[in-house]
Amino acid sequence: MDFLLSDRQKTLREGIRGFAANVIRPQALSWDRNAGVPEPFLKQMVQMAAQMGGQLGVSLEPAVARAPDESGESGEKKKSSANLTALIGAEEMAWGDAGLLLCLPGPGLGGPPVRASGTPEQKERFFGIFKDMSETLAWGAYGLTEPGAGSDVAGIRASCRKEGGEWVINGRKCYITNGARAAWTVVFATIDPALGRAGHRAFVVEKGTPGFGVGRIEEKMGLRASETAELVFEECRVPEANLLGGEESYQSKEGFMTAMKTFDNTRPLVAAMAIGIGRAAYEYARDFVKERYLLSRSIPRYGAIAERLAKVGRQLEAARMVTWRAGWMADQGIPNAKEASMSKAIAGQAAIGACIEAIDICGAEGTIAHDHQLLEKWFRDIKVYDIFEGTGNIQRIVISKRVIEGLKGF
Amino acid sequence: MHRGEDLGRARGTMIDFAPTEEQQALQEAVRQFAKTMLAPRIRETEKLRGLAPEVQAAAIEMGLSLASIPESSGGPGFSFVTRVLLEEELAAGDPAATYGLAGPGAFALAIAELCDEARCKQFLAPFVEHPDRFGAVAWGEAKPVDSRGGFATTAKWIGNSFTLEGTKSYVVGASRAETLLVFAQVDDAADWNGVGAFVVPKHVHGISIERVTTLGLEAADVASVRLEHVRVPRASYLNEAKEWSHRLLRFFVKNALLVAARCTGLQRAAIEVTRDYVQTRTAFGKPIGHFQAVAFNISDRFIDLEASRAMVQRAAFLWDAVAAGQAEENEALLASARAIGFAQEAAMRAGNDAVQLHGGAGFMRDYPVEKYMRDAKQLQVCGMTTTQADQLASRIELGLPLEWSLLVPTAESQNVFV
Repeated sequence: MDFLLSDRQKTLREGIRGFAANVIRPQALSWDRNAGVPEPFLKQMVQMAAQMGGQLGVSLEPAVARAPDESGESGEKKKSSANLTALIGAEEMAWGDAGLLLCLPGPGLGGPPVRASGTPEQKERFFGIFKDMSETLAWGAYGLTEPGAGSDVAGIRASCRKEGGEWVINGRKCYITNGARAAWTVVFATIDPALGRAGHRAFVVEKGTPGFGVGRIEEKMGLRASETAELVFEECRVPEANLLGGEESYQSKEGFMTAMKTFDNTRPLVAAMAIGIGRAAYEYARDFVKERYLLSRSIPRYGAIAERLAKVGRQLEAARMVTWRAGWMADQGIPNAKEASMSKAIAGQAAIGACIEAIDICGAEGTIAHDHQLLEKWFRDIKVYDIFEGTGNIQRIVISKRVIEGLKGF
Repeated sequence: MHRGEDLGRARGTMIDFAPTEEQQALQEAVRQFAKTMLAPRIRETEKLRGLAPEVQAAAIEMGLSLASIPESSGGPGFSFVTRVLLEEELAAGDPAATYGLAGPGAFALAIAELCDEARCKQFLAPFVEHPDRFGAVAWGEAKPVDSRGGFATTAKWIGNSFTLEGTKSYVVGASRAETLLVFAQVDDAADWNGVGAFVVPKHVHGISIERVTTLGLEAADVASVRLEHVRVPRASYLNEAKEWSHRLLRFFVKNALLVAARCTGLQRAAIEVTRDYVQTRTAFGKPIGHFQAVAFNISDRFIDLEASRAMVQRAAFLWDAVAAGQAEENEALLASARAIGFAQEAAMRAGNDAVQLHGGAGFMRDYPVEKYMRDAKQLQVCGMTTTQADQLASRIELGLPLEWSLLVPTAESQNVFV
């Protein structure tokens, strides 16, 4: 057993923390208000990420889907700790600004499915655009959710049919992160809703494809720097070569759907981000108490506040331990669907609790938005962490099926 | 397995949640013992307020009574990680039974923190020689002193010995202990800083024991210890160590971390028996575990268990790292405080939900869950209370001085069972 961070992880954490405190946070509120991060800054981030070895938690893409040679740690030790390192980086980045993290150029959530299921030609073609982003920034996106179907994937109604050498897609996708700016989006559609998941096909739809358009850009409670778009497909014609994994991979059980399971591991990453936001709120409240109440108030009053702070602190620590363990399991190659869902379930709630308590502890001042005073923003940002990547209740369905014998579903 | 081996592993190279092979072997042995010897006898142990002779003999045979003794004093020298692993396994069999095992227990932990190596060896030697002996720590007192800080029980230097006078309360295992560590006021004027400790053989003249009945953890066999003109030699007096108050705080936190490990084991026992119940009990045509309200409740308790275990193990690891000069003590104190508060509350949730999900059956003593619920509440007032753990965490986080008299359990805040 070992619970000390490696030197490399410590350096990473300290590096991101310093940058987050001095560079990211002072701009976070303006990004939130202007609904986006300016491109020059994103270019700077891309440059930094390249210097730091290309990953280091500044990408939403979980390291689990990467080949070992890409983990960045293979030369250092036998077993990988790439997942855990990514969790540590994600927590620090989100501590700076979670909105920025979601805006970062790269394949985003579209990366894992292409990496897990794409043909070599597809990987080359779709990842090629991210190799050099010094001139042009590029994003990928992931389009599964529809107005009528989210976690119940079997309910998607976007349709696809084959006509000659093309697939024709009709339907709508909603809440797609970076959906409008993405160079390509992995889009799920069905050849026949009656077939359930067996009827699903995934396409990489490129920007500019005839019949593919962007609907509304959503106005959100929080994470406003991140673009959330609706995608519209009207007789959208996608070349056969963009069917993810190729037609054969949909004919066998070991094909597409099995490959999809290898990227269950975005959940601990989302959990780590939630913990980063929750910790930011906790530390803000802690320092607020330190600077104000302690000097001017008597001990009994402070005692109750201290207890609330402690409860927030230990919930976040509990969430971090569950999250790290899920990441550690992924690094060890141990199946972790249950633990990944546990991490997401506990972290979402712990971090929301942290933000709610922090405002209570700070009183009126806690709700006022200033530069360097981001508590109200964190409160708005955090709520969705118990919603996206599967709501808290969805996580509990995943866990239930794995702890209750004979339970297939509800 | 020895501490040396434990600490010999490369540290800080990679976070690793897996116990070593030696630890796994120990875990497995203790798990079997808990499953076959402790769990089936949970009601017998409750009634006896301790372990049946054959169970005790088996525990001693396994070496469990020496678990808290450092290597330099002739014990196995378990790392703290190993200790919390074993406590969880034992408590998963019967949380109360962990308080009925022979050996010096908390006495050894206190001695190891408060004494130098030579005296530690001297005081623990009888336990190594007679592994069936019990020790106890007489810390608590029912009421605070009105006029000053500190204990009402006094130790006065009269002639060429100390005379102890007063009543200590909430003492775990006092009636079966051969040796007590008695805390008493040596210097009235110094308030809490005037407290000293004495190693007292229980058979000396003037000691009487009054057993009390508790909500749960009956095997702890809690009692009060009355001291009337008890004379002990100077050699039994402990307050000569440097950083006395700091050492005392460390003893309470480490002792409470072992309680947190038992809380983890209790959760496991309560959740697993409840999971089995909801899988077999049917209503409205299906197992009740197949209803969301029930399944989600079980899922939440499994999340608690996962978190408690990792927090307790991390805190224990940090104490080992402090010993090896690889971590700051405040880091270990903070991680421990958080683990203690979380595990105690999680155990209470597990016990409460276990009874709730059993419905009326859970209220009956045919099932173990009502016992787990009582034991869980009792564990929340063992070692440190949840509130005390939280206050400790906050003081560290707010950079306030760690005044031990404000942080350790006393009649001025909340008493606990030690």
